[in-house]
This record gives sequence, structure tokens and C-alpha cells, in this order.
Amino acid sequence: MVGGCTTDRIIKGGMIMSQNILAKEYDAVVIGAGNGGLTAAATLAGKGLKTLLLEQHNLPGGFATSFVRGRFEFEPSLHEISDFGPSEDKGNLRALLEDRIGIDTEWIRVPEAYRLVIPNEIGGRLDINVPFGVEEYIGKIEEYVPGSSHSVRRFVYLCGEVVDALNYIAESKGNADKKVLTDKYSNFLKTAPYSLQQVLDSLKMPYLAQKIVTAYWCYLGMGTKGMSFTLFAAMLYKYITKGAYLPKHRSHGYTCALDMKIRELGGHIEYNTKAEKILVENGQVVGVETSQGDKIKTNHVVSNASPHLVYNQLIYPKTEVPDMAYKTCNARKVGFSAFVVYLGLDKTFEELGLNEYGYFVYSIPDTNDIYDDFSVLSRPMGQATICLNNAIPDCSPPGTSIMSFTTLYRGECWADVKPEDYFDLKSKLADDMIDEFEKALNVNIRDSIEEIEIATPSTFAHYTKAFNGSVYGYEPGPWDSILPRLMCMNDENYIEGLQFSGGFAVRCHGYSSSLMSGEMAALLTYKRFLEVNKE
Amino acid sequence: MSKNKVDINIKPFGFLDLLEFKKLIPGRKNRIAGASAEPINETPPVNALANRLHPDYQYLSVSEIIENTEKAKTYRLIPDKNSGTFDLAQFRPGQYLSFTFNIEDTVVTRPYSISSSPKEALSDFYEITIEKTNGGYVSNHIFNNWQIGTEVKCSDPQGHFYYEKLRDSKKVIGLAGGCGITPFKSIAKSIIDGTSDIELTLFYGSNTINDIIFHKELDELAKESEGKIKIIHVLSEEKAEDFENGFLTCDLIKKYVNPKDTTVFICGPQVMYKFLHKELQALNLRRKFIRWETFGEIKDINQAEEYPRGKTKENYQIIVHMGGNKQSITASAKESVLVAMERAGMNPPSICRSGSCGFCRSLLIKGDVYITDTDDGRRLADKEYGYIHPCSSFPLSDLEIIVPRAR
Repeated sequence: MVGGCTTDRIIKGGMIMSQNILAKEYDAVVIGAGNGGLTAAATLAGKGLKTLLLEQHNLPGGFATSFVRGRFEFEPSLHEISDFGPSEDKGNLRALLEDRIGIDTEWIRVPEAYRLVIPNEIGGRLDINVPFGVEEYIGKIEEYVPGSSHSVRRFVYLCGEVVDALNYIAESKGNADKKVLTDKYSNFLKTAPYSLQQVLDSLKMPYLAQKIVTAYWCYLGMGTKGMSFTLFAAMLYKYITKGAYLPKHRSHGYTCALDMKIRELGGHIEYNTKAEKILVENGQVVGVETSQGDKIKTNHVVSNASPHLVYNQLIYPKTEVPDMAYKTCNARKVGFSAFVVYLGLDKTFEELGLNEYGYFVYSIPDTNDIYDDFSVLSRPMGQATICLNNAIPDCSPPGTSIMSFTTLYRGECWADVKPEDYFDLKSKLADDMIDEFEKALNVNIRDSIEEIEIATPSTFAHYTKAFNGSVYGYEPGPWDSILPRLMCMNDENYIEGLQFSGGFAVRCHGYSSSLMSGEMAALLTYKRFLEVNKE
Repeated sequence: MSKNKVDINIKPFGFLDLLEFKKLIPGRKNRIAGASAEPINETPPVNALANRLHPDYQYLSVSEIIENTEKAKTYRLIPDKNSGTFDLAQFRPGQYLSFTFNIEDTVVTRPYSISSSPKEALSDFYEITIEKTNGGYVSNHIFNNWQIGTEVKCSDPQGHFYYEKLRDSKKVIGLAGGCGITPFKSIAKSIIDGTSDIELTLFYGSNTINDIIFHKELDELAKESEGKIKIIHVLSEEKAEDFENGFLTCDLIKKYVNPKDTTVFICGPQVMYKFLHKELQALNLRRKFIRWETFGEIKDINQAEEYPRGKTKENYQIIVHMGGNKQSITASAKESVLVAMERAGMNPPSICRSGSCGFCRSLLIKGDVYITDTDDGRRLADKEYGYIHPCSSFPLSDLEIIVPRAR
């Protein structure tokens, strides 16, 4: 019990430990053990650099973690990983984790793409369960929306070209041939300046088919009118062709494996240690200071903390932050935070009548209206809901199941919440979300709740220190999507020796992109390290 | 994939799209050039909210000491503004605070449930209630040293022992033993002040009438509640009129309340937990309706049923890596790895001291430890990779561990 008893006796023994001081110099310091920080540290350590990974929390992963309540272990933020693929047809991410970094974790394939339910769709309820696989995907939509297959097929092929083009750019390591791009990937270039909605309209895709193919929009956190087509296309195509995957032991499973790999490669990890200052002299990184009082010399930092945090809070002295760095931050829009209800239920998914893994439930039809609604602190109008046991049957004890209900909020709309109203607000919004889901699917969930936990933007801000609790990076409109970010990468590198990883970095957000971004930041850092040490 | 080449024009002619593409980067540069060059100096509002709900530490000072019984005292704590705490973090009735103590060159923590209500935290005070027990090192320290004005340091509110509307029945049965009454005092107060909309039937076990903590206060709260709070005092070492005698049993519960579709909250000493684990089975409640406060620190692992008693040495050596340093310490086999580090004068992180919060999570790189099933709150992957919670791990051999520094 906690209560008020103390009964033990503590007798002093041993010796007082001398003050803890980390080694004073590292080749590279990685700030933040989130997805990108972990792959960055593993890559740097793998290249033989003396690497220090700093994390303010006491475990790896950032959002990619897990937590235990009662007899349940929950997945806090991951819905499904894209670009992973089966072991015989590896996606980029599986190749990174298994071949280049070399972790051995068990992954489970998600059974279907998604079930989309829009109870109040124009013309009546939309309810469709969409499979993976290009032909299966197109076929299922044709069945639901006769006459759609031509435009849906064109759309999917177009998405394929985007993925091919991005792969080509990645393989060319910054030396992409313009002629190859204009000859082979002209549609990629032509669609890059446009939003998802503009491309859909040009394809003359039937309205309902548009609704079905855009269901994943909330994974990128922008309505179809605002979101870059390129980014959505890449995500959709990777899901349909390579399927979606989940770590068997929640995200803590693979982030723990990355932690062990970093140590095995000679890297050093310090938890409960927050980077408080990135020391800069004459535009060059010279060191890092931590909340534990460590003063570390280094010329190379990979920050998994966002540019917003780095330029506004970490760079020291502030005079070292150029105006252009502030301008670049202020021109961009920090993405959404999330609100998640986690339930441990004392019934199985069969008993609950839930036969799919992932549900998108949109209470109003237009994604752009839902997007706007996420900036208002009111009953959530859209949710992505998961029944984990449909992918991992033994993720909870026999007779039970795990669900999570996720919606998005712009962090700022939580700004005026008073601490004394916070718990009731959480409870009310959770109730609203469960209610929306129960009505949309005609099921009863609430009577079986054995464990419940609710995470708000404040919770995400608390555990990760992310700017306003954002779980997404900068909003990927066409002007700030992956291609323009890549093309401006060098121009927007304002401090020598500083690279960014994670959801705010060049590849934009999402688990897969964040993990891949860490390797990219590490390789750029390694290249610079070799150049400097040659000089 | 490019085998399935399609050709798309968004604007009427393809070259217009390529023109649009050429404008993409200049457009980006214009946007950035036109943005403000002002830094954001204030803490972003959601991070500010998070800091108010979950400060790393709260610095408090003792403003009042109330003697509840011969052995129990309540300490009222107010923000210590000089040390940087201006508001108290809000909590849910039933939560606790983890206090940090510096005693004779050792740093130890203890969790204490908050016995005051959330509304009272809004008017700037918490209360914790402590019972002195024989040989209690920390309770002795508090009784001997805490005076009005004493400055103390604690965590943000912690724990999951609270009523949750979406999960629990509005009809709540509380089973309290001894100083396990403290969270229920907070819950009862929150019913009176309107924070909690529940009905509480509280069975409170004490040794004798004189040992009942908050005797008068609880009876007054019950009176004030207009039937929402019922209190049944149960005495184990004394017989008296209007008091039940014996232990908290299934039959006793049924005598006062129909347990069907009620949520039972339990907080008390470890012996009471062991007793109730068996007793409550007879109520046939779904698991969701039984909410245990954490078991608490195991002082002597020899008492655990499955423990390989008599097969261990008395002491073991533990090599502890912390913050890049390495130190060898001696650990008693019967005590947790956390206690061994505290005795050695180290400052390892800890909060719940019951294996559940994971705040002391450390990597075991050599040796074996014993962990009871009830106190193993580790994540699946932590079990797989050899991470342990030192507060609920007991050495079965010499060990080598990597421990994060306390924040």
C-alpha cells in the first residue's frame, strides 16, 4: 500500500558516490531517444563514432513506447508502420532496422488496410473494409463504388511513381539527375506543387471513391485541401503494396532493441538527462550541457528535438541563432497533438463484435471540416480506433482485449484549460469518443472497461517535452512537404555540426519517416565528421 | 512500378504544372523570408499546462501539524515559494506524493497518499498523514524533525488508485486498514465538496478505538454527506458497542451492502492484502471491480511464498554503473536492489517502491534477481532484454547494473 506507513530501517553502508560526470568529449551527441534519435545513435555508433545519446525521460522511444496498467500493456501512439514489408519483400524501414542496424524484433502484419465508417456521409452511411494489395484495393473500391476503378487505378499508379521517384532521389544521395527526373518521373514533379484534393479532382475520381482513398489522411494530420499530394501518395502506396506492421511487444519492443544495439556498438545512453544547452561558437556546435550538470565537448549534434525547441530554447548563446532560423520556424506550422483513450477490456474482440484491427470513424464527411474541428476543444469529429488483438491475438490475457481511440487536437486549443478542470475534461472527451464509436459501429464497449488511461496534449508534452505536445512535425502542405524540404536542406542548415532527425526533419512525420530520418541525419553527420577530421 | 506509367495534368497542359513546380522552391523561400524573425521566448502553453500538472518536483513547507492519534500525525504542506513552487499540482483523490529525504548522508524516497482534497490543493495546501511504527526509519525521521517551517521536497501526484467514471461503479466500497485510510479521507472529502459523484461505503479496520485515524472527521463527513458516505469501523483488538469486531471479511461486507456491481477499493498493510485476496474471491466480482493500491515495498523477501528461502547468501556485491561512474556496493539478500543503493549513499531514482511505476528502471547486465509476480510491473520487452525495477528486485547473486541518475 501507499497509505501512510513506514516500517523499514535504513542503515548507511558503503561509500558516498563521487559526483557523476560523463566522459567529457564525444564525437557526436544525439539529443532525444525518440524514433529518429535511436536510429541516428545506432548508425553513428555503427560507424565507429564515440556517440552519446541523451534522453530526458527514463526509457527510450519518445512516443514509441508502451505502458502497463493492471494486466494490460498499451501501445501509446503507433497505429501501424508503413514501408516495412514482409521479410521476402523488405521495405526501406525493415532493411534499415534488420540489415543495416541489425536488430532482431518480432513484427506482426496487420490483417487489413482499414475499415472506414462515415455514418453521415452525403447520400447515406459509408462503411467499407478495405484490403491491402493493389488489385484487391482497387477491386474492393470498385465493388463499393461501381465505375471508380479507372480513376482509382490511375491514382494508385501515380502514387507508385511518387514512391519510385523518392527512392531514386534517396539512392542518388543528393545528386539526383534533373534529366532522369523530368524523363522518368515527370508526374512526380508535376504533382509536387499540389494538394491531395487538387490531384483527386484532376483524376475525376467519383466522390465516394475519393472518400475511401483518402481515409488515411489523419495519419498525416492535414485535410485533403491542405496536404501535399506527394507525401500522401508515398504513404498510401507503401501501405497498399507492402502492408502494415506492428511490433509484437508494442513499440517498446523495438525501441528497447535499438537501445541494446546502441550499447552493443559502443554507444553510451544516458536517461533522465535532458540536453539543456547546445553550445555554439561562431556558427559551429562546440558542446552540450545537460540537466545533470554534464558539460560535454562535441562538434556534432543530431537533434531529435524539433527546430522549434532547438532554436528557441537550446542554442546557447542566443546570439548564435541567425534570424533566418527563427524565420524558418515561424513560417511553418507545428502539427497536431493527440488525444488518446486506452482501454483494457474484460471481453474478447469476438464478444465485443469487433472484427477489424483499424477503424477510421469520421462523424462529419469532409476531411477539411474535421481538420478545422481539431483546432476547437469540443467533441471530437474524427477518430482512428484500434482493436489490437485483431493483429496480435495474444497481446492481452485470454478473455480480454485492448483498444485505443485516437483523435487530434491543435495543442493551442488546450492552452486555456485550468488544471482543476483538466481531469473532468479528459473524462468527458473520452466518453464522447467511446460514444461516437459505439454509435457508429453499433457495439457496446463501455460496460467492459477494466482499465482506462487517457492521454492528452499535456500528457504528450509531459513525457516528450514536444512543442505544445505535438505528435506530428511541421504540417506538410505542398510548400513544406518532403521534396521542397529535401531541395532546401543545405540552404536551411543554419548551424554547422547540427542535424535534425524525427518528425520535424526533412522526411516529414510518421514512424517510418522518423526512423529513416535518423539514419539520414547520422550519415550527413558522419560525412561532415570525416571532412572535418581530414582538415 | 513505373511500368504502369500514367500521365497526369492538373492544369490543362502539362507544361503549366512543370512551371508550377519551378515556382515551388522560390515560393518556399518567399514564405520564409516574409516570416517573423522573433524568437518564441515564453513556454508554449501546453508545455506550461504539463508543467503545472506534472512538475518534476514540488517544494513545500510544513505549515501545521495535527496529532490524530498517539501514533499518527497529519502534516499540512504549503508551497515553498522561495524554492520556486507557487501552485500545488492538482491530483485525483486517492493519489500519492513521493517525498525525498536526506537522512544521515543517504537519500531515500517514500510515497504518502494525500489525505486532503483536491479543492484544498486549490487553496494551497496538501495534507499527508503518517503513522509511526516500530523502527520506522523515515517515519521516525519525520516525527523527530518535521516542524512548522520545515522545507520538504516531493514529486508530482502519482498512482492510479482513484475513481474513474468510465470504468468504475458509482457505488464504491472502500476497504481500509490502519494508515491505509489516508486516500479514503481524500475521496470522502471530495464527495462532500462535489468533486466526486459517488456513494462510498467505507469499512475501516483499526486495532482499537484509540488507533482510529480521523475518527471524528470521518464521522462528520458521513453526517454531512446526506447518505452518500457510510463508515463501518472494525476493531481487531477491542470490542465495543457500535463497532464491528474482527477483520474485514466478505460476510461483514455483505452485512452492510450488496456487493453486486460495486467497485471495491483497497488500501492497507500487506497482511491485510494477503488476507483480502482470498476473502474477496467469495464476492465473485469481475476483476475490473477490484482496485488495489500498490502492495508497497517488500521489507524482507524471505516472507514471499515462492522465494528460495535458505538457498541464498546473506549479502551480495553489486557493481552499479551510474552516469558514467562505477561503484561496488554491498547488498543484503533480503532487501531490494533499490534499498541497497540507498544504503550505499547513492541517489537512484524511485517513486512507487512497489515495482509498478517503472521510475527506477535499470539494466541488469550480470547476475540474477528475484521478483515476485505481484510486484512485477515491467513491460514485456524489459523482461526480454533484462531491464529490472530495482525497487522490486532482490539479488540472488552478485550483480552488475546500469542505473540512470535521478532527475
